[in-house]
Amino acid sequence: MSQTTPLHTQQYLEHRYAHSPEKVFAAFSNPELKARWFAPPGPDGPKRFTSDFRVGGLEHIGWTMGSETPLPGAELASETLYLDIVTNRRIITGSNMKINGTPMSGSLITVEFHPEADGCRLCLTHQVVFLENSDGPEMREQGWRKLLSNLETLL
Amino acid sequence: VSQITPEMILEALGDGTRRKMISDLSQGPMSVSLLSQNLGVSLTAIGQHLHVLEACGLVSTHKIGRVRSCQLNDAGFVILENWASAMKSPWRKRLEWISDVLDSEK
Repeated sequence: MSQTTPLHTQQYLEHRYAHSPEKVFAAFSNPELKARWFAPPGPDGPKRFTSDFRVGGLEHIGWTMGSETPLPGAELASETLYLDIVTNRRIITGSNMKINGTPMSGSLITVEFHPEADGCRLCLTHQVVFLENSDGPEMREQGWRKLLSNLETLL
Repeated sequence: VSQITPEMILEALGDGTRRKMISDLSQGPMSVSLLSQNLGVSLTAIGQHLHVLEACGLVSTHKIGRVRSCQLNDAGFVILENWASAMKSPWRKRLEWISDVLDSEK
């Protein structure tokens, strides 16, 4: 089935860390640290990643899909705008995901850091709107809708 | 040896008696007759369930003397775990990677 209207989804995750909220927050605010978990080299090779961590600042990630993938050479890219930052407490971002320059989706992500006796509880709310072309004919043909929605929820 | 798929394993675990067998065996190896007694299920039925569990790599059995002993087989659980891991949300995986990054910092 082809998706003909925007599809809205929402996901809520909690994760506990044996590290202080300050350290977990730094994994988001420090671009070098963030690149290690957010943009690790994958089967597609290295990813381009830059982050300007301040309200109104932009973050970029992009990579080329490798020869082992069904869409070799496709350019995937995402731009993220920092909407709200409360140091060690909260980060809110809005971002897009594009394939070969065409937007596939938009996301709103809220990350909250709650101190706990032995570390930090992170709460992540991820709201996404998937656009019509997020399952375009050639991708559907190759059965890659799922892959792309996975890629999508990555960002 | 035929290829074991996650579907085979999940089908096998869709049966309550087989889940109880797995649960019992997680305490340690057991003979077929003890399994049968514990679960109140006939030896014949236990034998059929064992056949299904062996075929999908969750249990292995060995006949030693006159006793057939049963134990959990790691192979099926690795396949199951990989399947569950692949179904995890990409954000869940990322949140786990943050732990790895922070742990390696100190």
